[in-house]
Amino acid sequence: MAKTSIQRRLIAAIVISQLVLAIGLIDVAVFVTRAQMRRAFDVALQGRAMSIAALIRYSEDESHKLLFERDLAPPPLERNVPDLYEVVANNRKLIARSPSWPQDYDVLPARGDRWIATYVVNGIPYRAIRLEHVPVLDREGDTPTTDFLTVTYASPATSVMEAVSEVLRYIAIGSVVLLAISGGFSLWALRRSLRPLSELADNARTISPSNWELNPPEEARDTLELEPLTQAMTSMLDGLHRAFMQQREFLANAAHELKTPVAILKSTLQSLLQRPRTSDEYRAGLEEALDDMARLEKLLHSMLRLARAEQWAAGNLQRDLAPIDVGMTCQLAIERLHSVAQQRSVNIDFAANDAMRLRADPDDLELVWSNLLENAIRFSPEGATVQMSMRTNNGNGYVEVADKGPGITPSELPRIFERFHRADSSRARDSGGYGLGLAISKALIEAYGGTIEPHSSPGEGTRMVVSLPV
Amino acid sequence: MRVLIVEDERRLAENVARSLRESAGYAVDVALDGEDGLYMAQSNPYDLLVLDLMLPKIDGLTLLKQLRKGGGDTPVLVLTARDEKESIIALLNAGADDYVAKPFDLGELLARSKALIRRGKGHSAPVLRVGDIEINTSDLTVRRAGELVTLTAMEYRVLEYLAHRPGAVVSKTELLEHLYDFNWERFSNVIEVYISGLRRKLEDGSDTKLFHTLRGQGYVLRA
Repeated sequence: MAKTSIQRRLIAAIVISQLVLAIGLIDVAVFVTRAQMRRAFDVALQGRAMSIAALIRYSEDESHKLLFERDLAPPPLERNVPDLYEVVANNRKLIARSPSWPQDYDVLPARGDRWIATYVVNGIPYRAIRLEHVPVLDREGDTPTTDFLTVTYASPATSVMEAVSEVLRYIAIGSVVLLAISGGFSLWALRRSLRPLSELADNARTISPSNWELNPPEEARDTLELEPLTQAMTSMLDGLHRAFMQQREFLANAAHELKTPVAILKSTLQSLLQRPRTSDEYRAGLEEALDDMARLEKLLHSMLRLARAEQWAAGNLQRDLAPIDVGMTCQLAIERLHSVAQQRSVNIDFAANDAMRLRADPDDLELVWSNLLENAIRFSPEGATVQMSMRTNNGNGYVEVADKGPGITPSELPRIFERFHRADSSRARDSGGYGLGLAISKALIEAYGGTIEPHSSPGEGTRMVVSLPV
Repeated sequence: MRVLIVEDERRLAENVARSLRESAGYAVDVALDGEDGLYMAQSNPYDLLVLDLMLPKIDGLTLLKQLRKGGGDTPVLVLTARDEKESIIALLNAGADDYVAKPFDLGELLARSKALIRRGKGHSAPVLRVGDIEINTSDLTVRRAGELVTLTAMEYRVLEYLAHRPGAVVSKTELLEHLYDFNWERFSNVIEVYISGLRRKLEDGSDTKLFHTLRGQGYVLRA
């Protein structure tokens, strides 16, 4: 598809509108000039016709014939082209006719007492006037005349035509010159005013993963029309930068965290190959390798889950969900951790004062409760009870998990939701934790518009409070 | 030789320990966090420290700095997941002797461990010679006048330790400390059993005496 150019379009619009203007101007000028010149021409014609009429006189003898003093006729208007005239008395009798009167032009039809027409004789345009009912001026005393003349006088109109076409030529040339000048100027002005746009584009081209700063040149910043564009670009870049850094950080963390489980698996297999072994040893070694593999898988699964939950939390994914029974998800989580709790002789107590329903994926909530319960069980002393409770209050639903463990120091409290953060104990590693559980839980709860708050101090146990809008 | 592994991933620590025991004949102790690791490193004469960086309680770099500050000169091999130049430089400047990046090759880890121990004892060659005895520390074989001699694992450990310090007096206590890991009961009279075994296999039928006993002080290996 051909690219459209704003510059070209604007130039075309300017040129076309100027052209229309010029044509209109020429039209009006020609019309006005021609009308004025014709009027002047007609006045001159009338004068000549009258002066021809004045050359008609009665003969001095008895006959009172009408005579024409040809020698006194005025010279032609144009030097090389003769004027045409004709005088007819009482509509019947031809008194005088110019020598160049064309043969095939006879008496022209009469119409009123003054008539003006243009016609072509011998290829030359003529303008003619006819005066009717002109009395014979040369008469004796006050005797009223009974003879009335019809005078037709024609002069070549070439001078009028030439004058008009000259005016036309001047205006046309002037218009073309002005059009060229103004076209060039508007092109320059357009380029000039579009320059901030290309400078902005040049600047945007320097954006890369190592440079996220959009630094629009001053001209672009001061251009009113570019303001929404630069603002949109800046906010888009901010968003992209944040997402990019988050992804990169996650990738770096993930790559780093994957190195250890891969190192374990690799060392297990290599130490198995270091010397010949019995088939029982091989078997045991392969089983260990499978265990290592399972941990690696679990880590991968957790990382993907976290990435997805964070995407939801960032609002990048909309899901259509039906309302579910939150109490049910609590029960399911408790059941899931039943055997772990039993192993450590920890009881789980669940209290709910109200039913709670909200739009959520039951798997997400169950995972959050499981993570919280797992931590609570892990840090509980043997024989202790983990308290889980659920209540609703003022449009909010609360789920709490409390343990009687050693608690969390104030310095560590803000860090517990960090990815890959582990409680300061080697026990965490042994039980397979990778420090992702709380990060996933936080992201999931935030994806549902809720919050998760730890309440803990050393020696007093830990209470995790999840608040969800219902 | 006795090695301390400070690594919080139990499975990784076990694999490295097994490999060092089986393929290098070292006594190996494992600490699962930085606090235990520092305490053990300061209270036992290890010949090598294999140190992870991400550790609970005290992280590896801090442990290393504290160890060096306290005058500990045990060679340190660092296991690191970060192999960017800056962190390697920081490690070496903090007193580490070498490093392997995770996921590492066990063979490489073994070779670097042996090299560090050699260097720590002031040797460069992997084959040690005392008289007509040749001890190859890379494949754990011993030759007497070119003939392969079969030793028990403990006899080899005693011989290798003494061979690393030729001409020096090595007490029974020192031998016990360097040849047994934490979990073993130590009886000084077992050393005598190994020394007599070594004498039988390496001195019999020869005029030169290799293992000299200095009563109340210890042993000297000298051709």
